[in-house]
Amino acid sequence: MATVIPVDMWPFLIFCVVVFGLLGVMLVASWYIGSKARHGGAQDIPYESGIVPVGEAEDMRLSIEFYLVAIFFVIFDLETIFIVAWAVAFEETAWLGYGAAAVFIGMLLIALLYEYRTGALDWGIKRRVYEPGRYAKVDSA
Amino acid sequence: MTILYLILFLLGAGLVACLAERLNVNAPRWISLLAFIAATIWTGAIWLGGVDPATGFYVVGELSWIPSLGINVILKVDGLSLVLVGLTTLLGIIAVVSSWSEISTNRGFFQFNILWVMAGVVGVFCAYDLFLFFFFWEVMLIPMYFLIAIWGHEDRSYAAMKFFLFTQVSGLLMLVAIIALVWLNYEATGVITFSYDELLNHEVSGTVASLLMLGFFIAFITKLPSVPVHTWLPDAHTQAPTAGSVILAGILLKTGGYGLIRFTVPLFEEASRDFAFVAMLLGVISILYGGYMAYSQSDFKRLVAYSSIAHMGFILVGVYAFNELGMQGAIVTMIAHGFSTAALFMMAGSLQERLHTREMSQMGGLWVKAPRMGAMTMFFVIASVGMPGLGNFIGEFLVLIGAFKVNVPLTVLATIGIVVAAVYGLSLMQRSFQGTPNPQVAAMEDFGFREISVYAIMIVALVWIGVYPQHVLDLAQPTLDALGVAL
Amino acid sequence: MTLTDLWVSFPLIVLVGGTLVLMIGVSIVRTHKLALGLTLLTLILSVAAHDIALENITTGYELFGLLNVSGIQVFFNVLFLLGAIVTALFAYPYFNERMERCEEFYILLLTATAGAMVVAAATHFASFILGLEILSISLYAMIAYPRESHQPLEAAAKYLVLSAVASSAILMGVALVYAASGTMAFAELNISPESGERSYFLLGQALICVGIAFKLSLVPFHMWTPDVYQGAPAVVTGYVATVSKGAVIALLINYVQATEVLSYTGVFYAVVFVAVASMIVGNLLALLQTNLKRLLAYSSIAHLGYLLIAVLVVNTARPELVLETVLLYVAAYFIITLAAFGIVNLTSEHATEDNEQMEAYTGLFWRNPLLASVLTAVALALAGIPLTVGFIAKFYVFAAGVEGTAWALVWALLIGSAIGVFYYLRLIYTMVKQVEPGAAALPQVGTQSVVAVTVLGLLIVVLGVYPTPMIDMIRTIVQASGF
Repeated sequence: MATVIPVDMWPFLIFCVVVFGLLGVMLVASWYIGSKARHGGAQDIPYESGIVPVGEAEDMRLSIEFYLVAIFFVIFDLETIFIVAWAVAFEETAWLGYGAAAVFIGMLLIALLYEYRTGALDWGIKRRVYEPGRYAKVDSA
Repeated sequence: MTILYLILFLLGAGLVACLAERLNVNAPRWISLLAFIAATIWTGAIWLGGVDPATGFYVVGELSWIPSLGINVILKVDGLSLVLVGLTTLLGIIAVVSSWSEISTNRGFFQFNILWVMAGVVGVFCAYDLFLFFFFWEVMLIPMYFLIAIWGHEDRSYAAMKFFLFTQVSGLLMLVAIIALVWLNYEATGVITFSYDELLNHEVSGTVASLLMLGFFIAFITKLPSVPVHTWLPDAHTQAPTAGSVILAGILLKTGGYGLIRFTVPLFEEASRDFAFVAMLLGVISILYGGYMAYSQSDFKRLVAYSSIAHMGFILVGVYAFNELGMQGAIVTMIAHGFSTAALFMMAGSLQERLHTREMSQMGGLWVKAPRMGAMTMFFVIASVGMPGLGNFIGEFLVLIGAFKVNVPLTVLATIGIVVAAVYGLSLMQRSFQGTPNPQVAAMEDFGFREISVYAIMIVALVWIGVYPQHVLDLAQPTLDALGVAL
Repeated sequence: MTLTDLWVSFPLIVLVGGTLVLMIGVSIVRTHKLALGLTLLTLILSVAAHDIALENITTGYELFGLLNVSGIQVFFNVLFLLGAIVTALFAYPYFNERMERCEEFYILLLTATAGAMVVAAATHFASFILGLEILSISLYAMIAYPRESHQPLEAAAKYLVLSAVASSAILMGVALVYAASGTMAFAELNISPESGERSYFLLGQALICVGIAFKLSLVPFHMWTPDVYQGAPAVVTGYVATVSKGAVIALLINYVQATEVLSYTGVFYAVVFVAVASMIVGNLLALLQTNLKRLLAYSSIAHLGYLLIAVLVVNTARPELVLETVLLYVAAYFIITLAAFGIVNLTSEHATEDNEQMEAYTGLFWRNPLLASVLTAVALALAGIPLTVGFIAKFYVFAAGVEGTAWALVWALLIGSAIGVFYYLRLIYTMVKQVEPGAAALPQVGTQSVVAVTVLGLLIVVLGVYPTPMIDMIRTIVQASGF
């Protein structure tokens, strides 16, 4: 081995150098270009560029549903990719592909059922599965 | 198979004793005592049964265990094993009686541990399969650890840990050596076996043999113990409860000597022969160092503990003298030391029970208050010092004659050890039982029937070996012949 | 796809099907008992399905070019399923006491087990990464399951971030290896020494090794282990320590045998370094712990180091001995670790926090002799002392090390065990200490978990004294798998 770096390693090394160089440039550039004001003024306020916030940060509550909907979108969006991929190759994959896709879509349906029943799809008031003695109390968001 | 039943009997008795505590707090010690008496009689019966001429052993038992690895339960009893098994069961009785009233908590578990240690030791003395041997070797550690850690004196945690750590680590070295030996045998013959007899046929030589021999040697001299791996002993002996000290000094140390005679020397004869000088030197250093340290102790038990190191040095010297006399001496010393030191540890236990101290500065002139105790101590101190007519003398004398043939300077140094023994032995006597009576000691209860009868057993044993050692020598002779020690 | 394909993958199908049934069940009626019942049924059926799978394979069966199912994989799978059964049994009383919605835990348990089974059988990077992610993502949620408490959340966050780093290391490594060799199937990964892409290949292998070492929590990639072990609920910790590590071990031995990656000197010595460091550092750090879960975490680091010895001698010792050692060690480690965390778990059933401080076990011998005996067996087994299955396992590792003439590793094992004895004994000593008057009472324990723990404790001792059935079974499996 000695200290000679194999020829084929050069692209990789250059790649590393470029990545770290880019990182460095970004950090250094922002230091010089960015505003020097540290604290004070509007620096510590969220949304400093516009609306003046009302109340404390703890009162700034976003409904959990925003995140849930975002996650569902990501999940089901991804599933669409698989289904589209299958649809394109529908002829080639034949019945085996059909069966596999059916199983896949079946699983998605079960997941959807589960989400519906646990109240994950409800906005606002949670309509949880009623069960005497256990979840008798319907709590609000 | 008898010997396996004996081991299982002791293990079973341990379980019964442990559970019996719920019925009656005194039941465990009775169960334990009866079990040891039965085991002693059992051993006696094996002795009377005589050697089976077909096998050359008293008892032979084989049972398949892990056949795919060539591991089997092979237990054989020859003369040497028989003597040591007898010593074990007899000292079992003594250990139980000596702690008759000492233990007040968890008596069932206490007797359980005693019985299990003894079962492990019997296994060690009879195992003819190296895996099985190692198995028993480690098994006897755990209950011993509990004996020290639960019922020991003030510094028990440290002492128990040190004891376990030393023996366990050196044991692992032996395990590696065993596996390597088996593997070498497998390379040569294509058979995986842990059987002692078959491995005996496989000659290992050169550096490998020396390294493997060291693996065994270190494990055994740690247990013996010899300088420089002796440091666990003073702590463990001092902190252990009386029964624990009796078992440790009386039997556990002997497993080291037994291992040297049974395994290290025959398995690696060449390597051992080359190593003999170093081993004898270690023995002599142990004798002198142990004696010196014993003299400088102020704690009764610690003094006896260091004297054990000195006596064990004789075993090392005897074994590595590589002649019949030396070996015989080592074996006799093992038996005699078992009794004399066990008795002295019991004495320390009795004194602690009565005076709540082991410091000799708090004793003095006790003979007046307890003449029977004084007389007993005197007898065992003298035995331990090596008075002719008692067992220890025979052992040490034979060792010295054996060693003299091989290495005169070392023998001279070892002989000085006997003089040192007289110094610390008599100083022990002087500081505790004689001299001006200590005013702080008000009154002290003398020995009763229970104690006297136990000491009587040991006195008889020591006088028997001292006056007529031929019984022990005859028993051990076939073992020595089988070892093929060049005479 | 043939019918045989179907039969061989039947255990996995049963498991996934069971998961879906459980999901439907949870959607319709939410009962903890029903969820547990369905889970146990699924797991047991999946164990039974392995019998059908075994009938359809001879030495091994290549499934879709992604998985290879042989007797060894079946052994691992059954081990994972049994581990999951024990986990489910321990989880029931634990969660029943403190949580409202416990049913999802079982769904996660089943998916994690499915992931582990895929990882263990993977012969292709695609199936490896897929399985690993299914396993890991389920584990994040399982760790954070008691979501009202602070510690599990913290542990889950740590595990999530660090595990993602490890996964990306593996992915980068896979990309490099693929770039060099043009394949992602393990068996075809070999690359000729003259090849120009050799350094890419080695770099990729190194990154994959880093990722695997992280998953196995080997030094120096062990930082997450104590925190996650401590933070996660004891049931989950037991599962992480056994099934998730067992899966990666199975993969590692597969990978090492298929790709011969250890015949590259650089990789070999790197792994030797990792093994030695794990044995020594793991044991040394365990010495300092006063928290039982953290102690077990460091001890697991050391144990994985021991196990690595068997993997490292893959080129110098007989392959059947290597496999026997790995299978036996993993099985022993499963029993011991599940028993250990089972005890932590069952003494915590009625507490708000896990009962994990060593002090809490003071005088356990006199307060609850049964539990103390089991915990003593666990400690002795972890220390590798005879009468326990831990000794048999360590004996095998010693044998593999000696036969592979890996003396440096044997020495490290010796030193590591010596240090180990120290803290395992301290645990035992804590238990035999007399209880001080006024000490907090021992938490009340449920019968069901006590039975489970006792069975595990008995297994530790019985297999330690008479290991022949287990050894013979493993030997048969290894031989039937063509070694």
